[in-house]
Amino acid sequence: MSLILRRGDELRLLVWVAALSATGSVAVAAAEAATFDRRQLIIPIAFIALSIGLHVFLAARGIRGDQLLLPLACALTAIGLVLVERLASNLLEQQLLWTLIAAGAFVATILVPRDLTALGRYKWTFALLGVLLLIAPLLPVIGREVNGARIWIGIGRVNFEPWEAVKILMVVFFAAYLEEYREVIAHPRRFGPIPIPPVPYLLPILAMWAFAMIVVIFEKDLGASLLFLGIFLAMLYLATGEAFYTLIGLVLLIAGGYVVYHAFGHVQVRVDTWLRPFAEDLRFDAGYQIVQGLFALGNGGLFGAGLGNGMPDRIPVVWSDFVFNAFAEETGFAGAAALLAMYLLFVYRGMLIALRAPTPFLQLLAAGLSFIVAFQTLVIVGGNARLIPLTGVTLPFVAYGGSSLVTNFMLVALLIRVSDVTARMRGTA
Amino acid sequence: MTRSVTANIRSLTITIALAFLITSIGVGYWTMVASEELGSDPFNPRLVAAIRDRPRGTIVDSAGNVLAESVKTPDGYQRRYTDRSLAHVVGYASFKYGAAGVEAAYADSLIGQDPGDPVATWRARYLGERASPGAVVLAIDPKVQKAALAALTATGKKGAIIALDPRTGAILASVSLPSFEPNQVVDPKTEDIAWQQVNGDEARPLIDRARSGLYPPGSTFKIITGAAALENGVNPDTKVRVDDPWQADKSWGDYFVRSSSHAHADFTLADAYRLSENIYFAKIGLQSGGPKLAEFAQRFGVGTAPKCDLAVAKGQLSNTGALDRPTIVADTSYGQGELLTSPLQMALVAAAVGRGGVMPTPHYALEVRDSSGNTIRTIAPGASGQIVRPDTAAKITQYLVGAVEGPGAFAFGAKISGIHVAGKTGTAENPAGPPHGWFIGFAPAENPVVAVAVILENAGQGGVDAAPLGGRVMQAALGR
Repeated sequence: MSLILRRGDELRLLVWVAALSATGSVAVAAAEAATFDRRQLIIPIAFIALSIGLHVFLAARGIRGDQLLLPLACALTAIGLVLVERLASNLLEQQLLWTLIAAGAFVATILVPRDLTALGRYKWTFALLGVLLLIAPLLPVIGREVNGARIWIGIGRVNFEPWEAVKILMVVFFAAYLEEYREVIAHPRRFGPIPIPPVPYLLPILAMWAFAMIVVIFEKDLGASLLFLGIFLAMLYLATGEAFYTLIGLVLLIAGGYVVYHAFGHVQVRVDTWLRPFAEDLRFDAGYQIVQGLFALGNGGLFGAGLGNGMPDRIPVVWSDFVFNAFAEETGFAGAAALLAMYLLFVYRGMLIALRAPTPFLQLLAAGLSFIVAFQTLVIVGGNARLIPLTGVTLPFVAYGGSSLVTNFMLVALLIRVSDVTARMRGTA
Repeated sequence: MTRSVTANIRSLTITIALAFLITSIGVGYWTMVASEELGSDPFNPRLVAAIRDRPRGTIVDSAGNVLAESVKTPDGYQRRYTDRSLAHVVGYASFKYGAAGVEAAYADSLIGQDPGDPVATWRARYLGERASPGAVVLAIDPKVQKAALAALTATGKKGAIIALDPRTGAILASVSLPSFEPNQVVDPKTEDIAWQQVNGDEARPLIDRARSGLYPPGSTFKIITGAAALENGVNPDTKVRVDDPWQADKSWGDYFVRSSSHAHADFTLADAYRLSENIYFAKIGLQSGGPKLAEFAQRFGVGTAPKCDLAVAKGQLSNTGALDRPTIVADTSYGQGELLTSPLQMALVAAAVGRGGVMPTPHYALEVRDSSGNTIRTIAPGASGQIVRPDTAAKITQYLVGAVEGPGAFAFGAKISGIHVAGKTGTAENPAGPPHGWFIGFAPAENPVVAVAVILENAGQGGVDAAPLGGRVMQAALGR
């Protein structure tokens, strides 16, 4: 079989991504300057070349399985690049560099773990690595504080948010551990209808999770703590099907939220700005960002103001926290709904891979990774649309930020690897 | 048997899909449903975007003088204001701090999307075509405005003067001191310092005292007490004994109503207006009764915000909204108690009496014009129904002329030679210091073309100081 035909759907879909990238970039350039600058085309061309390069690499490696995830990830990344160009063109070069690194990480993830099913054997190594990454920002020399949160490590000019990588390590560890002990954990002794959880078996994952929580709370990163809690509860549910655990988790979340609310000023401010951002004392202060974000949404209408024609630049740090609102303002509800549909499709494909995966470990791995994308999207868009308090997680692939892009491409690579294993075992492409 | 991971994946996926659905509905709400409300929020920078990116419409006074216009600077368009005395009425349109005054209330009109021109609005919204903006014409009469500014400035006090045409409700002049410099608020070079300054100033220069300031109305409220009494069986010519100090009975304890002139004499209603006799009005207020007095106060708009094209503060009749104790009925009758009203509201009270019992609906703008000068929309909101009988209004007018022209009248300072002026002073006790001075009135008394309200904060002498200011403003309006 020829290289092209092996992953033909993927290539055909990438043509649409190329169109999206080129038209988006040209539209932004046209809105900003009356004259067309040919150099504006360098960015989409470079990105399209990179995307097709990844496709050719997969085909050449003989990777089978899912052909939708890469085009989806590339489409979202293309939207992200267009929006960085639109909102913070001074950061564009850096984001392009990160895209290159992300592609490298994708390639490495496809190449390095030779036997994916064996990944579970190194679960304790991964747990240790996760712990080290989590405390790294607190260490001198490499730890860095940005905007009041000490969640970065830096080497030279490059800053990295380690928790982005920890989320993947966490899923791998949970998947491996839960595969081993799920029978015990899923069959608790019952006290009437109330299950008594087998604490000794839960202890390692509880410890891993609690450690992560303590560190991110200490580092003042609400988004990361929420994501870790989400991963913990989702994985526990996926492994056991015990809704009661989820219930306990939600009760813990509410109780914990109450304690955290009263203990930390910055959490109170978050909740306050969520409940009444338009209040006189908040709208020019802590509520300024969300109010400006909602104004941007309100300007969206059905089809939006058109790329480059809105005023999303009035939102502080729009390129990372509020990129969704910027997109919705300029492409309208139609664009925003399409974007959400792309995420849902991504998650659906990921879950489909999980459903078909041959072992519980691979099932839990794929489902957990897909859950990350779903949860992050819902938490940040929910915050952007004032459905829940705003927390600082990134909109996967689209928001400006290198750490997030790199880990998300590793996530895509892992999902493709799982589907590849399934396809090989079933003997179909 | 453990539930298979497969089944769990299915339920989780369905939950996620539902969460996406809910999120999309939320996004749809903000983009499609709430967009109207968000788009008209005065702090929405999109609303004032025209300031920077496009010229915005002009704001002119009734004589055609430009009050606000867009000028081109290297950073784009910027608003320029020509009359600081109208800072509160015209307002400002800042890219950073939003808009206020006419700049906010007529924001749509100033970007060429007046509701009176649905085609332009539709084209702007769905086709992205911007109609070139026209002008908003205010009713402000520059002669009256100038007289009001000069009169208030000369006192050196904080306060406000507002004048309107009782026949139409058009606001002819409005001054509020201290003021602020709107040009500094909209200039990117000075905006932050100016904004901090005006917001940090304890004198609160951003407040338009004429429509957003709330004060006890003092004796000017006696117009309402008198109207309630006349329509509830009080004979104005019956002599009522006044002995200072006075209480209805021993149950009032050490609480007394005091006469400003320490009177020990018999009063008719006419005498009581002329000499502003508190004890007389406390007595007839009690005779009308709390519910009746409250009803008439409400008819005159006390405790509600009048319908107006700019926002007007809502005052109060009392803390509870009712007059349910004899002492508060007595206190309210001469304008103290827990009453709070805006100067604009009291100007409307005067206008209603002058107009024979019909209160005009106030408005600052006269019309909206398109870029070629054609009228798109005329602003003429009309008037209330009959709030008091014409004969009641006629009687009170007669007493109010006496309060300006009669022997020993407190409001003598408002006299204008050659015509009759109706008016009432007020001295409003307040916890902030010396009493505020009030004057409200209208002229000519028989067929008024101007009604005015003056408030001088902590004036010392009270209403006697305020009356001449009202006189000068009405004189300017009459062209004398």
